[in-house]
Amino acid sequence: MAKAPKLDNQPQIVTANDLLSGDVVYLTKTAAWTRKIAEASIVENAQAGAALLAVAEAQAKMNIVVAPYLIPVDASASPPRPIQYREIIRADGPTTEIRKPAA
Amino acid sequence: MYQYDEIDQTMVDERVAQFRDQVARRLTGEISEDEFKPLRLQNGLYLQLHAYMLRIAIPYGTLSSHQLRGLAQIGCKYDRGWGHFTTRQNLQYNWIKLEDTADALADLAKIQMHAIQTSGNCIRNTTTDQFAGAAHDEIEDPRVWCEIIRQWSTFHPEFSFLPRKFKIAVTGSPNDRAAVRVHDIGLRMHKNAAGEVGFEVIVGGGLGRTPFIGKTIRDFLPKQDLLSYLEAILRVYNQFGRRDNIYKARIKILVHELGIDTVREKVEAEWQATKDGALKLPQEAIDQIAAQFAPPPYEKLQGGINADYANAFRTDFEFGLWARRNTFKHKQPGYSIVTISLKKEGEAPGDAKAEQMNAVADIADRYSFGEIRVTHEQNLVLPHVRQADLPAVFKALKAYDLATPNVGLASDIIACPGLDYCALANARSIPVAQQIALRFKNWERAHDVGELKIKISGCINACGHHHVGHIGILGVDKAGEEFYQLTLGGSADDQAAIGDLIGPSLNATDTVDAIDTLVETYLRIRKDSDERFLDTYRRVGLAPFKEAVYVAA
Amino acid sequence: MSLLKNGHIVGEDAFQLVADDATVPASGAVLITYARWQAEKDQLSGRNSPLGISLPNNLDVLDFGPEAERFDLIVLSFPKFSDGRAYSQARLLRERFGYKGELRATGHVLQDQLWHMQRSGFDAFEIPREDAAEAFAKASRSFTNVYQPTGDGRVSALKQRLAAARKKEAAE
Repeated sequence: MAKAPKLDNQPQIVTANDLLSGDVVYLTKTAAWTRKIAEASIVENAQAGAALLAVAEAQAKMNIVVAPYLIPVDASASPPRPIQYREIIRADGPTTEIRKPAA
Repeated sequence: MYQYDEIDQTMVDERVAQFRDQVARRLTGEISEDEFKPLRLQNGLYLQLHAYMLRIAIPYGTLSSHQLRGLAQIGCKYDRGWGHFTTRQNLQYNWIKLEDTADALADLAKIQMHAIQTSGNCIRNTTTDQFAGAAHDEIEDPRVWCEIIRQWSTFHPEFSFLPRKFKIAVTGSPNDRAAVRVHDIGLRMHKNAAGEVGFEVIVGGGLGRTPFIGKTIRDFLPKQDLLSYLEAILRVYNQFGRRDNIYKARIKILVHELGIDTVREKVEAEWQATKDGALKLPQEAIDQIAAQFAPPPYEKLQGGINADYANAFRTDFEFGLWARRNTFKHKQPGYSIVTISLKKEGEAPGDAKAEQMNAVADIADRYSFGEIRVTHEQNLVLPHVRQADLPAVFKALKAYDLATPNVGLASDIIACPGLDYCALANARSIPVAQQIALRFKNWERAHDVGELKIKISGCINACGHHHVGHIGILGVDKAGEEFYQLTLGGSADDQAAIGDLIGPSLNATDTVDAIDTLVETYLRIRKDSDERFLDTYRRVGLAPFKEAVYVAA
Repeated sequence: MSLLKNGHIVGEDAFQLVADDATVPASGAVLITYARWQAEKDQLSGRNSPLGISLPNNLDVLDFGPEAERFDLIVLSFPKFSDGRAYSQARLLRERFGYKGELRATGHVLQDQLWHMQRSGFDAFEIPREDAAEAFAKASRSFTNVYQPTGDGRVSALKQRLAAARKKEAAE
C-alpha cells in the first residue's frame, strides 16, 4: 500500500468506508457522511485535521463507518481533488472501461 | 462431482446463521471492527477501496452448470452483474454490501456453495489442476484428495488462527498445472517403486515479499496418511510460525529460518504420534469420496482424431487457430478438454459478465456433462467435450466473446485486480494488462511468439503470481507515481523458478513498450520457432534482454 | 470478568493466584507460573493440595507434557484472540498427554472463538462479560456436525458416513 504522506498544514479532508454498504464516504461540516467529495469538509491545517479525524473516529465507534483517515486535497479544484492517485480512484471509481459501474 | 449430503448442507446453513448473528452483533457494537474483521474474512468478505468484496470459494475449481448459473444470478442480485475469477480458482464480486452478505451467503448455500475460509489466517481453498479427471497425462484424479482436504480443513478448531494464511495445492499429473511448488503445502501424486500411488509432500513454497520454491519434506506419503501428516505440519506451523511480523509469518519463512531438516524432524516426530490415530483414512472413506468423482458417462468413441474435427481444423481457419491453443488432450478416446479464454484483448483479464456465465453453463450442459472448471490462470474449462462437438462449441463460445484463441500466449495474461480495486495495491494492473494484450491482438504475431506467460501484480503480495511469470510485472509506488518492475524467467511448472529482476522500474507506457522489446529480442535470438520465450531465456540469460530494454535508444 | 466452567459461571476461583515472589501456602489450591514451577519443582511436588499452572503461550508443550498429570489446573493464554498457539497446546495436553484436569483459557477470550476452544479441549474460560454462560451455550450450538476429530468426543462426518454405510449394508 502506498505510504500516506505526512499531513502538515495543507488542505485535507476525512474519508472512510460506510460500514453497511462499504461505500466510499467523506465527512461533512455537519459531521455527517456524504458519498460526494464536493460536500467534504476541507480544513487547512494539521490541528484542524486532527480534530476532524477525532470526530470521524467517534463515528466509527458508533458503527457508522470503518477506518476513517485524513487525505490531502487540492482545494482550489471544484470539487476538491485528492492528491494521491489511490484516492482519486476511490473518488472516481475504477479506471478500467469494462468495469465502470453503472452511474 | 461432489454432492453435499445432509451433513455438508447443514454445515453451510449453520455457517450462514452464525455469520448473520455476527453481523448483527457488529452493527450494535457488541463486537468491534477489530474483533469482527477476522470473522468476516473467514467468510470471504474484504473491505477494499470502493466497497466490500466477496470471495466465493470454488473448491478445487470445479463447478456444475447449476452452480455457475446460481453465481450469475447472485452477481446480478447483489452485485453489478460481473465477477472476477482468481489465481486460486475462486470468484470475486467487487460491490457487495455488508448488509446483504448474509443473504448472499444464504443464496450460495442453496447451490452448495459458500465463502468459507477464502480469507483470514486459516487454511484456504485447496486448488488443483484445472484438467483434473480428464487430462491424458494424469496419474489419478487429485480432486478426491482436494475434497478430503477441504472437509478436514473446514472450521478446523486448532488451525483457525494461524500466524498467517495457508494455501494447499495438489497435482495428479507429473506436468504440474497447479503450481504446487509455490504453495505452503504442495502435494504431487506419483507412484513409488512398488507401483502404489502416494504423495510427494512439498512445504514452504510461496510468492509475495519473499518468494520461495517449496522443499520436499517427504518423498512418498501413503494415501491413508494424508490427513495425519497435514495435521502434523499445520501443528508445527501453528506453534512455531512467527507471529511478531506479518511479513515473516508464512511457513516458507519457518522453513527458511529453521531449515527443512529441522522442520521435517519436528513434523515427523509429531506425525509418529498421530499416524495410527483418528485421522488415518480407512479405504472405505476414501472410496466414498472417490465415488463422487467417477467419470461421466462417456460415449464409446474411436481413438485418434475425429473426422469432423479434423475437417473443420483444416477448412475453418479461425477454428483451427482456436483449437490449436484452446484444447488439450483428453484421456478418453474421442474427447477433448476446452479452455474458455476470459482474456479477450482489451478486456479485464479473468472477468466474466453474468450473461457469459449463463452461456458457459448452457454450453456445459449441452457439451460437457454440465461440468465447468476454473483455472488458476483466470480462465474457465469445459472438461469433457466430444471432439466432434468442438466446432459447435467454438461457435457457441465465440458468440459470447469467449473464444479468443490465446491460451498460453502473450495476451493470456494473469493480472490481479490492482489499484483499481484493491486496498493493498501500489499500482494498477488491469490497464497494463489491457494495453499489453492489445499489442498481441494480431494472431500471426501472437502465434509466432508462442507460449509466453505474462503475470502482473499490483503490489508485492503477488496475487498476480508475477514471480513465476515468464515475464513478471510488479507494480510499485515511486514518489506517488505508478511504476513497474520487470522480471524474466519465472515459472510455476515442474522446473519452478522465481523470475530475475531485469532493471530499474519503468512507467506504464515504457513498461508496455518494454514487453514489445523483450518479445522482439526473443524473436531475433531464438534458436527456432520451437524454442519458447522461457527456453530462450534459460539458454541465453538476462543480458541480451536487459540490454535491449535499457540500453537501446 | 466471569469464570466459566463446564458451562456455568463459577462464583469464585477455587485456585488462589500466587505471585512469583510470594510464599506458596502449604495447603489450599494455588495457581503458580511456569517459571515458578521450573525453579521450585521439588518443593512444590511435595504439596498435598491442588496445584494449578499458567503456561506461556509460546511454550513447546512437548517439553512440559509428561508433567501435566501433576496438575489439577492448567491455564493457557490467548494474548490476542488472533494468536492461536494455545489451541495446539490444549490439544496436545488433552490428546497426547492425557491431561484430565481443568484446562482454562485466559486473555482475549471472545464468544466467537469459544467453539474452537471447546473443541480443542478447554473446559473453563475467563470471559470479560456477565452473560458468559449464555454466550458459551450459544457458541456450543454453532454446528451440529464436525468434519474433523479432536479430543472432544464428537463423531466426525467421516465416521458418521462410514457408520451409515455399514448400517445400510447390514440391512441389505
